[in-house]
Amino acid sequence: MTEAVHGQSWSQRILSEVLLRWGARLGIAWIGLLTLLAVFAPLLANTHPLLVQDAEGWHSPMLVYLGPADTTLLGIFFLALLLFLLPGRRLLRFLAWVSGAAVVGALSWTLVSPPSLVVYEQYREAEAAGEYQRVIRAPIPYSAKDYLRDYADTGLESPRASDERMHWFGTDENGADVLSRMVHATRIALSIGFIATGIALAIGVVLGGLMGYFSGIIDIIGMRLVEIFEAIPTLFLLLTFVAFFGRSLYLMMLIIGLTSWSGYARYVRAEFLRLRQQDFVQGAIASGLSLPSILFRHMLPNGMAPILVAASFGVASAILAEATLSFLGLGLVDDPSWGQMLNQAVQSSTFNWWMAAFPGGAIFLTVFAYNLIGEALRDAVDPHAQSGKAKIPAKGTA
Amino acid sequence: MLTYIFRRLLLMVPTLLGITVVVFVVMAAAPGGISALSLVEGQNLEPQAKKALEDYYNRLYGLDQPAPVQFARWLNNISPVGFAQDDTGGLTGWPMLKPPDLGISFRYGRPVMDLIGERLPITLLLNVLSIPLIYVVAIAVGVRAATQRGQAFDTQAGVVLLGLWSVPTMLAGVLMIGFLASDQFWQWFPTGGLSRRAALDMTFLPQAEVWWTLLALLALAFLFAAAFMVFAARAGRAPRMAAGLLLGAAGGYAMIQDLDALTSLTSLVVGGVFGALLGGLMARSEWLALRLLVFGGAGILSGVTAAGWLMPAPMIPGFLLDRIWHLVLPVICLSYGGLAFLAKLSRSAVLENLTSDYARTARAKGVNEHDVLWRHVFRNSLLPLITVSATLLPSLLAGSVIVEAIFSIEGMGKLAVEAVQTRDRELVLSITLISGLLTLVGYLLADLAYAIVDPRVSYD
Repeated sequence: MTEAVHGQSWSQRILSEVLLRWGARLGIAWIGLLTLLAVFAPLLANTHPLLVQDAEGWHSPMLVYLGPADTTLLGIFFLALLLFLLPGRRLLRFLAWVSGAAVVGALSWTLVSPPSLVVYEQYREAEAAGEYQRVIRAPIPYSAKDYLRDYADTGLESPRASDERMHWFGTDENGADVLSRMVHATRIALSIGFIATGIALAIGVVLGGLMGYFSGIIDIIGMRLVEIFEAIPTLFLLLTFVAFFGRSLYLMMLIIGLTSWSGYARYVRAEFLRLRQQDFVQGAIASGLSLPSILFRHMLPNGMAPILVAASFGVASAILAEATLSFLGLGLVDDPSWGQMLNQAVQSSTFNWWMAAFPGGAIFLTVFAYNLIGEALRDAVDPHAQSGKAKIPAKGTA
Repeated sequence: MLTYIFRRLLLMVPTLLGITVVVFVVMAAAPGGISALSLVEGQNLEPQAKKALEDYYNRLYGLDQPAPVQFARWLNNISPVGFAQDDTGGLTGWPMLKPPDLGISFRYGRPVMDLIGERLPITLLLNVLSIPLIYVVAIAVGVRAATQRGQAFDTQAGVVLLGLWSVPTMLAGVLMIGFLASDQFWQWFPTGGLSRRAALDMTFLPQAEVWWTLLALLALAFLFAAAFMVFAARAGRAPRMAAGLLLGAAGGYAMIQDLDALTSLTSLVVGGVFGALLGGLMARSEWLALRLLVFGGAGILSGVTAAGWLMPAPMIPGFLLDRIWHLVLPVICLSYGGLAFLAKLSRSAVLENLTSDYARTARAKGVNEHDVLWRHVFRNSLLPLITVSATLLPSLLAGSVIVEAIFSIEGMGKLAVEAVQTRDRELVLSITLISGLLTLVGYLLADLAYAIVDPRVSYD
């Protein structure tokens, strides 16, 4: 209620203005849906039945096979929900959420250890043998890595082609259910976007801030570094990194972050060059504040707006970058990813339209959503949005 | 100006050095890295032969030396001034002038210079074709959106362009191949490559057994196109729409009929109705350029179809037509993203200038709106479009990687993917160098063009 008395802060005004635009609303709704899918993936798409009643009574194989990543996501989600409903200062609740998330993550990775051997066929066999009295299955009763080995040949079936099984989006080349893999792949798509952009932002803000604040020789050296990273084709550097360092999701996030910070550094530098002459910064320097305090508490909040716009577009290109790498065959090997599924659309001269339409459509919608949010943000931040010195973000790269 | 260019060219040297250092460090720091061992691995050889091969690779590429020495060695190889190298790998004779040498590819065993000489023209061909296409369409759409600010066209174009910009190149390419090139749907275009094997033996231009058939074909196509375009420009809305509906229905029907698997009556009707709706919508548009494009295209198609019926003898398409036929899908795939971005940019640039003081002054003087737009506003709106052309080339080069992989075109992009996948150090470094150089030259050219177009900008 205090905000109402003091009037809205600048960021609140931007936020409410963004939310007025239907494009941003649609974008946020889609990202929200993806978040729900990512968090509740094991409940939505799982070969392990949610609940089973057999001779030993009721039990839940789904809970037994829940991995540490699943529990971490669920924990973080419910923590966020709880803190959102609780009263209190926003910053305090945010800090509580971050530390709570860290605790949940640490607990999950130490305590949760699902059985390492997974036999997906056992449930279907047990059900066929009549061992279960009642079974409650997930809406999509196939796990992402359930290659349906108990059926004969399930590779690349078009949607709803089989009589005995129901695959709404068909199956991929290994015989796994495409819809299930897509649901599980939302995790990769969302996390790579956020974490890669977060890394790039951190590097870009620190380097760009130092360049803009000190100018002079640091600026000259820093700008050469920025130029070097801008002149290397990002996609090519990414390819080199991934090809030489192997395939791991975390490495990919790190690399996409490491190769895409130059744009943010440029923006922050320009903002800081403008801000450092202003009175409030001069005042902060005169009162002897420490450098981190001047840079991050006084200057950064005032120069954040154009960076947020760039970051929103950056998330879109990070998702595209991961999809491109997976498409070129340099992505994760076994884990589901939209780009890797899209790669199977045209293989051995046959066109499997469902492998193009659904995973490709998901990439498109997600990138579109982030671009819509980014554009709404830009319009809200700068009503006369001018792109005089715009840079084309390389397509398919970060 | 000359001093400026010279200074910029000199400044490229440290930047290029930095680029190659970054890539070299990535390769050298990678687990496994690059060693003679990894090159001979997997080959089924006698131990002695393996050892000999290892020694050979070590001598040829200096792989047994520490990484900084290896990099210095590579630098010495590519620089026009440097040490000479004798057979044992020792260095003599400083300084001497020599032709820069990009080394020998690990994988292909051929000079990198030759490989790049073969591949670079193909990628440049794709890009050179894409850039004018991008600019023409982007300016046409952008200017129209800006002049109709807030109206239906502007808002629709805004959403469509952002959507187009969000379509991943992989998806567009896969869908194009799937629907327009595979034998499951319309097999109108080739699935990949740059020319058919047979086309290499053909003459450059099309040839026909009976000499006048070619002229007749051209004349028919031209006549039909001209007639259609005149009609599109002159006719009122009602006759235009009737013609559009008819043409669209015929086109939709023909398309469905081309699909062998789906020729039931309902699908034919659906195709006809859908085509008619699309044709009618296009013909209804008040945008002359769009109407001319649609009707002209339909005219050429019907001209060629008519000629095909009348022709007494088949004709040989020739190398040129075959190449164009192969380039259609890759070029579209490469250009639509940049097109969407540039169209949005040109919209905002024109919009800014349309509301500026000098445009109002011109209007107040009595200059008509057409001249205000094209003689005053448009020229000034070109400035951001020229600035952005510097970053167009690198983004197109990055796009080529994907497009070439999808359409299996043997260009630089495909070479780059192969090079990193096989850890071909010399090739990776050379591709980095060349694409970095192209990028920097692109930046320089854009800055020079900026100075030429805008007299206020001076670099002296």
